[in-house]
Order: sequence, then C-alpha cells, then structure tokens
Amino acid sequence: MLAGFGGLLILMVAAGLGALYSLGELHRLQQQVGRQFLARSQAISTVVLSVHVYNNRVEQYLLSSQPAETDRAATDMANRVAEIHSALHAYPPDREPEEQRLLNELEKQFGEEDHALASLETWNPRSQPERARRFIVEEIVPRRLSILQISQQIALLNRERLDAADRALLARSDQLQKKLGWMLALALGAGLLLSFASIAYILRLERQGRERYRELEESRRNLRELSARLVDAQEEERRAISRELHDEVGQSLGALLVDVGRLSAMVPSENGAMQQQVQRIRSVAEQTVKTVRDIALLLRPSMLDDLGLVPALEWQAREMSRRGEMEVEVHSEGVSEKLPDEYRICIYRLVQEALNNASQHAGAKNATVNVRQARDRIVVEVNDNGRGFESDRVRGMGLVGMEERVKRLRGSLTIDSQPGKGTSMKADLPLDREEVRAGYEEDSHPAGRRS
Amino acid sequence: MRRIRILLADDHKLMRSGLKLLIEQQQDMTVVGEADDGRQAVALAKSLKPDVVVLDIGMPNLNGIEAAHQIAQTDPAPALVMLSMHSDESYVLRALKAGARGYLLKDSAESELIRAVHAVTEAKSFFSPAVSKVLLDDYMRKLQRSGVEDSYELLTPREREILQLVAEGKSNKDVANLLNLSVYTVETHRANIMEKLNLRGVPELILYAVRKGIIA
Repeated sequence: MLAGFGGLLILMVAAGLGALYSLGELHRLQQQVGRQFLARSQAISTVVLSVHVYNNRVEQYLLSSQPAETDRAATDMANRVAEIHSALHAYPPDREPEEQRLLNELEKQFGEEDHALASLETWNPRSQPERARRFIVEEIVPRRLSILQISQQIALLNRERLDAADRALLARSDQLQKKLGWMLALALGAGLLLSFASIAYILRLERQGRERYRELEESRRNLRELSARLVDAQEEERRAISRELHDEVGQSLGALLVDVGRLSAMVPSENGAMQQQVQRIRSVAEQTVKTVRDIALLLRPSMLDDLGLVPALEWQAREMSRRGEMEVEVHSEGVSEKLPDEYRICIYRLVQEALNNASQHAGAKNATVNVRQARDRIVVEVNDNGRGFESDRVRGMGLVGMEERVKRLRGSLTIDSQPGKGTSMKADLPLDREEVRAGYEEDSHPAGRRS
Repeated sequence: MRRIRILLADDHKLMRSGLKLLIEQQQDMTVVGEADDGRQAVALAKSLKPDVVVLDIGMPNLNGIEAAHQIAQTDPAPALVMLSMHSDESYVLRALKAGARGYLLKDSAESELIRAVHAVTEAKSFFSPAVSKVLLDDYMRKLQRSGVEDSYELLTPREREILQLVAEGKSNKDVANLLNLSVYTVETHRANIMEKLNLRGVPELILYAVRKGIIA
C-alpha cells in the first residue's frame, strides 16, 4: 500500500518534472531557432547592404572625375570588402549544404568582382570614361544582380529553415502534449488502481477488525460462562460431597451409634471395664458424627434444601452466635419458599461471605441481614459495625467471588465501607423468571419472620 | 396388652435396621412397616394406620417434614417422631408445625427413641435433651443480647401452669378438667399467654416451652 502510494507520487513528480523539462527545452529551442534566424537574416542583410554600398563606391570610383572623391571611394571600398567578409564569417556556422553552396557562390561572385576590379590597376578610369562605363555595365552590374539574387535565395532558405524549425517545434510540442496525456492517463489509471486496492485493503482490515471484535466478544462471553459454570460446578460438587458425607458416612455412624447403644444395654452393668470400653467407642463415634456433620454443613447447609433460604440464614446467624463470633439479626420480607436454587445458594453464600468478613477481618460484633423479595427482584443487605475498609481499594478474592455470583444472576453488587464506619453490602438480583413469579404469587401472604 | 404399632421411615437401611432391632426388643412395641422415602411413608401410614410414625427429616422424594405434614392430615392421625441430625430451632419449629411432637437427634436415638415413642403415644412432647439445651442456650443468649426481660416473668402462676400443660400436648378440655376450670377460662388464659409471649400457634408455644426447659 505504502509502496503503491509512493510509486504513484514518484510517477506524478517524474511526469511533472519531465513535462517541465520538455517545456523548458521547447522554449529554449524556440529561442535558439529565433536567434539563429535573426543572426542569419542580419548577416545576409549586412552582406546585401555592404555589397550595395560597395558597388556604389565602385561606380563612384569608376565614374568620378574628381581625384579626391575617387580616393575616398577606394578607401571605403576596402572597408566594405572587409565588412562583407566579416559578415559572411559571422553567418551562423550550422549551415545546410545548399546554404553553404549559396554562400560559397556569393563569396565566389564577390571574389570575381574583386578580381575584376583588381584589373583597374592596369588602367585609369578617369582617362578612359568610356571603358569605365563599359566595365560597369559588363562587370559590375551583372555581379551585383547575381549577388542580390543569391542573397535573396539565402534569405529564402533562411526563412524555409525557420519554417522547418517551427514545424519541428510544433511536432515536438505535439509530442510533448501526447506524452503528457499519456502520463496523465497513466497516473490516473495508477491512482484508480491504487484507490481500488486501498478500498479493498481497508474493507479487508475492517472485516478483520469486526472479526476480531466478534472473537473478543465471544471469548469474553465464554469466560463469563466459564466462570458461571465454575461457580455452579463448585456448588454442585460441594452439594454432592456434603450429601455423600451426610447420607453415607453420617448415617453409617448413626447406625453404629444405635448398635453401640444396644451393645451397651446388653453388657451387664457389673462388668465395669467393658461398660467403660463401650462408652469410649460411643463417645468417639459421637465426636466423629459431629465432625462429619459440621463439614457437611459447611460444604452445603442442608437447611437450604430442607427448609429454604430464610431458615438457613437464621441458622447461620445462630451458628455465629453460638460460636461467640458475632450477634446477627436476620429480617426477611416476602421471601418465597420456592425461590430457585441458584438464588438461594447465591444469597446464602453472599451473606456467608459478608458475615465472615465482618467477624474475621473487620472485628464486627453485630450485624444485620435483610432479605426482601418484591415482584421482580430480591434485595439482600448485610450491615455490620466492624472496622470497615476502603472499599475503593480493597478487592479481595472473596469480593470477586461475590461479584461473580451476583453477575451470574444479572444482578448488581455494591459494597460500601469506610474505615471506622462499618461495612454495608447490598445485592440486587432481578427475578424475571416465570417460575419465580409463580412461586411468589403462590404464597403471596408471607408472614414477616424474625430470628 | 396391645403393642404400640410403629412405622419406620428412613432412607438409610443400616439406621433403620438398628432402630428396628431396638424396638423389637421392647415387649410393648412392634414395627409394622418400613419406608425408604417420604412418599412411601405417607402411603404406608395411610394403609397401615400405625400408632406412631418415626420419620427421618431428610429423605429423598418428599422430605420428612413434608411427609409429616401429610401424615398429620390423615385420620386417625398417628403420633409423629422426627429423627434429625440437626438441633437447630429452625428444624425443630418446622417439625412442630408439621405436626410432630417428638424430635430426636440421631446420635442419641438409641437411648431416647423408646422414651420418645412412649411420650408421643401419651400425647406428650419429647425432645432430645441435647436439642432442649441448644434451644435454651440460644434463647438465653438472645435475651442477654437484646437486654429484654424474659417475658416468662410476666406470666401469672396459673398461666405458667396452663402453658406447661398445653405444651405437653393437653387439649383445652383436658386442662379445664385437670385444673377444675371452665374451658372458656382456659381459652382466655391461653390467649393471654400467647399475647404476652408474642407467640403464634401451638408449635411456637411448644418450642418456647422447650427453650425454657418447661418440658423435656
């Protein structure tokens, strides 16, 4: 593309320079031709004039009766001869053969005239006027005529040469015009070609850009889906493990406890050692049951499945209170028992995370949880009286996870905290599913419940 | 002597067989049926008409609470004992609302099931001592936290008496006979108790009584 534009530019500059150069050349040639024509015309005029003057002088010389006049004419004649020679020499040297021939003829004629005059040394024209007149008629006049004729021929030739040069110039100018036309056409063609190439290239770039944007969008969507699926998969796995622990391990241990109880009843009370042993087994089994149950509940609170969201939140609040971590109050309003599982688990985990942060990181002693369900949304708020943090700066993994869960349900999460002023979390989840509405309307007289 | 007919519903076979062995050791009890899930428990309760149904709270296909709710609607309604891993009040209250009057922790089922069955057949309530303790602890902590005086102090001695009798499962008529009062008076006392303690319904009243340690 760059090479194309560069090439076009170079082409145009070259064409312009070429045209300028050619025009300059044309102009120079024209001037030269004019100058040469002028020089030739001048030279030939000088020759003609000088010959004329010379001939007059010769006549004067031959016909004058006064010696003084004769002498002056002779001197002038000599001057004119020199003048004629210099004019002939001044004639531009680039002569054509015909021109040269005519010039030679001119010189020859003149030389003959000169030669004829030289014979005057042998006789005195003043003493022989008759001979002088005859001399003029026979020698001078024909030569004068001949010289004039030749001069005219040369002038004619000169003019022809000028015309030829003009024609040549015209031809060259035509050529230049044609060349310029070609150049213009070439530049236009190249420009057009380049434009098409550019348009094609730009279109391709645009298409590629769109393609890339689409790919980016898709990969972003994939990422979102993936993270949502990760959240789901994690929950699913937790639920599976929890259920496995609860159902298999927990129940087996429960059954074991029942068996141990019966065993204990069978052992005679006077056998103290054996009774003690059975008691030991029982307490170990009880401890294990408790541990397994705690792990299972941590993974997935079965209240969420057995009793619903609000009882599970209340249980969580009491658990924190029992552990002496924090006092939590749970308020709820209109929360449907048929809330879909993804909403239940999302809200439960949000509250869990917020309460854990409050008690473990912010040192909060009190917190309130508020869950309100309206027709088209469910809003969860958790406020604590902890130390708080700079909500603009802190973005822990826990918060990222919360945002992920909320985003998954197309909700919004705001966390507002300032050092010393506690933290408040608010999640607003839209409920646009038919089943949620149906569930909501089904128990449309939900009693406000307080923990 | 007529033996107490019991339906056992627990999805876990080991647990069920353990409990069955325990019951069969008793001379006045017998297991008349066993169910794997809630739906089967409801069906068997209707067809077998047992005296007592022992229900696991967490079962597949209709959990124990829902099953209890449906079984309590049958006529004659059998007495219900819930088996649970959880001592939390949300479970206890749900079980009570569903109509159960016995609530046992699975850990202690072997030592308490027989007592629980006896209690519910006499229309009394029975809660695992561990559950009562958890409920009481939670209650005390809450009182302490909120700084509110125990509303139990607001009750008159007569009201306390009636509270205990109602919580134990006595009807208004039973209470009237026992205390030599008119049914109308008992009803008035009961309404006052509910008002003072801010309670809604018998289940909450029973839960309150358990929390306070008024009944076991």
